[in-house]
Amino acid sequence: VATRLHVSFGGQNSTARVQGNEVVLDEAAPLVVTEQDGRCRVDGAGLTADGVAAATGDVVWVTVAGEVFAFTVADHATRQRTSSRDQDALTPPMSATVVRVNVAPGDTVRDGDVLIALEAMKMELPIRAPRDGVVRAVHCRPGELVQPGDVLIELDD
Amino acid sequence: MIRRVLIANRGEIARRVIRTCKRLGIATVAVYSDVDAGAPHVREADAAEPIGPAPATESYLDIENVIDAARRSGADAVHPGYGFLSENAAFADACEAAGLIFIGPPGGVIRRLGSKSGARAAVAAAGVPVVPGETPKTQEPDDVAAAVARVGVPAVLKASAGGGGKGMRIVRADANVHEAITAARSEAERAFGNGALYVERLIERARHIEVQVIADWHGNYFHLLERDCTLQRRHQKVIEEAPAPRLDARVRARLHEAALAAARAVGYVNAGTVEFLLEGDGPRAAFYFLEMNTRLQVEHPITEAITGLDLVHLQLHVAAGERLTIDQKNVRAEGHAIEARVYAEDSRRLLPQSGRLIHYREPEGSGIRVDSGVVNGQTITVHYDPLLAKVIVHADSRDRAIAMMDDALARFEILGLLHNIAFLRRLLARDEMRDVRAHTRFIEETIAELTTAPPAATVRVAAAIAAFTAARAAAPVTETMGATDVESTALDPWALLGRWEL
Repeated sequence: VATRLHVSFGGQNSTARVQGNEVVLDEAAPLVVTEQDGRCRVDGAGLTADGVAAATGDVVWVTVAGEVFAFTVADHATRQRTSSRDQDALTPPMSATVVRVNVAPGDTVRDGDVLIALEAMKMELPIRAPRDGVVRAVHCRPGELVQPGDVLIELDD
Repeated sequence: MIRRVLIANRGEIARRVIRTCKRLGIATVAVYSDVDAGAPHVREADAAEPIGPAPATESYLDIENVIDAARRSGADAVHPGYGFLSENAAFADACEAAGLIFIGPPGGVIRRLGSKSGARAAVAAAGVPVVPGETPKTQEPDDVAAAVARVGVPAVLKASAGGGGKGMRIVRADANVHEAITAARSEAERAFGNGALYVERLIERARHIEVQVIADWHGNYFHLLERDCTLQRRHQKVIEEAPAPRLDARVRARLHEAALAAARAVGYVNAGTVEFLLEGDGPRAAFYFLEMNTRLQVEHPITEAITGLDLVHLQLHVAAGERLTIDQKNVRAEGHAIEARVYAEDSRRLLPQSGRLIHYREPEGSGIRVDSGVVNGQTITVHYDPLLAKVIVHADSRDRAIAMMDDALARFEILGLLHNIAFLRRLLARDEMRDVRAHTRFIEETIAELTTAPPAATVRVAAAIAAFTAARAAAPVTETMGATDVESTALDPWALLGRWEL
């Protein structure tokens, strides 16, 4: 069974189809990704390169040859995964600017709703509700620079 | 004799001082703000004292809190590291008043060198070259303009009371001198409440060369060769090397002599650095005193690499009142060393970054030293300097050192925030760096090229890894279990044994 994903970085969006070790980006020739000891090797399209990845929230951080990337990866499954009852989801994953605040105190929200949109490195990062609830307080405004650890929103059950 | 040292700092420099103390059997006391309670320097010290909340002004910069911590902990000496209180004369005085040995020069020396004009006058009197310039006869605009004419253009107008670039104006051949004087004066008045100006020749396309010195309380002065710190950005050093490449032997010797003369002129004690601007090439290159830093420098490890000396050990030795027994003739550069500073930053916009290090692995290998203040899983806050680590390489030649540094940086794995490793690698790859043709404004002038988007092939590789990682994490439970099974089989010691019989 193939997993279909949208992968974004720096304002560029790609579609990815992942089946086992094969990754097809934007319908191009497949790349083969193998993992060993936490490191990934990519083979295909005439190249071989190594990198390391780790995910936090909706962001997958990747480093290849000293370059660092923060990809936003979207699909239904990832959303489910990151919609855990993890309070960290209400803090930005990196230094970012608030673009939109979609809710106000008293609003009822559903698990997975996008509460706040942040922007960093030309990409939009959604801050989603980790569960159903009612917004108790909003601690940020559009245009504001926020940091990991800042509490952006508080929810009541 | 020093038995217990309080380190009034955090991060990599606190850890670095702790390392030498441990080796010498000296007990260490760390200090920490509330957000640093779990930081590596706190864990590695023998004891630790809280000194206040996260903002540095209420903790690492609060003299009273630090002195109290030293008293509580029973320390007999204080190492200030760099930054924070390291060049604060009042702090050195407060240590002395509290009966603590301050590991650095006396407060009076720090105070004297902290004044730019005072330092300039003191070293000039000792024959150390300073940037040519003059103080106008009066502050009348015509007299200031006459001073500009005598110094020659390009010149720079500077606020006599100033610093930090405020009240400064560059005057070029085609500029209106009187307009520049009016602008500099009003800025100086607003910033310092004093509009007095002086004039200096503008030194352009210069290199930054500094000489490490060390002196004891018995009047013995030594230099420990020089460092080239030309590659900087907004006065923040980025890559440093020792010894300085492409430097005429006679000029090098004169630089060392000038640094020692400057140190003697102010009665310097302990480790310090005399900074110079170097203009021109070959035996006719000219150099001018910039300032003297009264602390251990961030880039001291490259000096340690080529001299084989431990600068913190020497500092402790001097602070304890011992004599230095360095044989100056035998202080020679062994090979070539380079340091690169790894910052948590968005290099394009030069913005510090914060975040959690979700994966952090330093490069290892012969000739590679990494001095870092962080560990895997640590959260980097916006409260302090964004320096994550210093990578130091030491090789038998400069070319080899550059290659080693590039390889070490490529193998440095940091995930969870933006950093400058790709920028450092692009800088190392430049011909201007390799041929020693860069000047102190080189990075600013080429920043667009040094921070271009990564190559398309690299982005594709990274995107494939991101998709693969996300798909695996999101895979249905059965598949995940399958993967786990495979992994546990591989790690199962019974499986690894192969066929066996009892």
